[in-house]
Amino acid sequence: MKQIPDKNITLFKSCLVSTEYPGIESSTKYVFDKTGIDYLVDERQTCCTGLGHYSDVFDQFSTTIIGARNFYLASDNNRKNMVMLCATCYAINKKVANILNKKDETREEVNEIFDKSDLSNMKYEKGSIDSTENIFHVVDILFNKKKEIAKNIKYDFSNFKIATHHGCHYCKVHYNDTIGGIRDPNIIDELVNACGASTIGWYDFKRTTCGAGFRQRFVNKDLSMDVTYDKLKALKNDDVEILVHLCPNCHVQFDRYQNYISNDKNDEFKTIHLNIAQFIALAMGADPYKVVGIQTHTVPVEDIVNKLETLPEYKEINEENKIGEENV
Amino acid sequence: MDLKLNEDPLNLANTILKDIKSSENLGLLRCVQCGMCTSSCPGAMHSNFNPRDMIEKILEGDETVIEEEDIWNCFYCYTCHSICPVGNSACEVNQILRQFAISKGTANKKIQPFLEFGDIFLSMALGGIPSIFFPEMREDIGEDWWEFKMNLDNVRNKLDLGSYIPPQESIDEVNKLLINSGFEERIEAIRNNKKP
Repeated sequence: MKQIPDKNITLFKSCLVSTEYPGIESSTKYVFDKTGIDYLVDERQTCCTGLGHYSDVFDQFSTTIIGARNFYLASDNNRKNMVMLCATCYAINKKVANILNKKDETREEVNEIFDKSDLSNMKYEKGSIDSTENIFHVVDILFNKKKEIAKNIKYDFSNFKIATHHGCHYCKVHYNDTIGGIRDPNIIDELVNACGASTIGWYDFKRTTCGAGFRQRFVNKDLSMDVTYDKLKALKNDDVEILVHLCPNCHVQFDRYQNYISNDKNDEFKTIHLNIAQFIALAMGADPYKVVGIQTHTVPVEDIVNKLETLPEYKEINEENKIGEENV
Repeated sequence: MDLKLNEDPLNLANTILKDIKSSENLGLLRCVQCGMCTSSCPGAMHSNFNPRDMIEKILEGDETVIEEEDIWNCFYCYTCHSICPVGNSACEVNQILRQFAISKGTANKKIQPFLEFGDIFLSMALGGIPSIFFPEMREDIGEDWWEFKMNLDNVRNKLDLGSYIPPQESIDEVNKLLINSGFEERIEAIRNNKKP
């Protein structure tokens, strides 16, 4: 398996995490701090263009320029290990690295744009960011810290029925770099296991897309929701209470639209949706509102949080400081 | 299809293979029409989109595929890409076809609803969901979501997260880069229904 870093990391901001589920970023930082991961967030970094790119607004050349600028910032900070909160940032940046390293003509054209823009210092040097060696998803970094995660678990998720949804742009695009399986993806399942809980494993439609489909959610809504409905039905058949995600766009599709689909199809769904970093942070005892950000969710997470029980060895701590009590 | 006896039927396929987006060793010419792509495709399951047919037309040099409505039903989920036995990627090829349609000036109406992605990037170097979709989302998702959106800065403060808007210097850099790359011109052409 490839080398997974735990230092010199740039934690790459995601537009959807920032504006829809900011608790994913604060939870990731919380878990990174607890497991000894050295990272930096650079305010100069911009969005990868992903949503606009896959809505066909951004052409590959413009996306490559934006990517090259963000690569420059990571190199400038001497933090070339770029770690993504979002599956689409992951896919986009790996693609950009491959283009810049393998397509000499395109790289020269990108560098000409930097020259023309008086930003020659940002020109990309072939090989400076490697798609496989330097670009990761948060789940990759956490996979390498399973033991440290296990040591920090305070709350018991083992009584819940849990399933996982692995974002397509993590598992299926640069699949040679994917950890934990492609046709039967399991990296999130393994991270849930590290928290002392188990998942239902394989289920019908486990591998299927969330249904967002970029443009489809907005201009082809029935088609988009039909695909999401397939997956929700499969989860309901298995009585899944918690679906654990790794991508904020999938998270939007399920959490924001689950009630809409329930009403539209006259079919009730009760599954709650958590990003894997939020899940681990809750299991470690992070405050649900000040760290995990459950107040930004559409399907309420409170039911689950209120049912969480402290592991016996942490019982005393819990008596003194009940989870998120001041905010409930 | 129109027979083009004096032309190489692989012109279209070769043009796709030379595209900036085309991955190294993309197996387009190795396609054996097995149909794995279509059988695993969410778009094919719920609409008339058929990635196997799309690839067949490309290999026959049938350029009408660029104008087909069905190609806009691909979800860009890469399921086909991840299971193709010969390393083809209907998903990647689809993205290239849509860019061809945009370059020909025949896809402006498809792109216009999403132009705010470009506008926000040029003015604030941000991504995120375009506000043009907010009214419908507010209706579909509910008032709690809308209140959260209106209260985003406070929520972020509570989570000890700083501003998500990059500093002005970064915005200016990105703006300059996207003007010089031709991106601004491209989206203005699409907005004004012209050929980019």
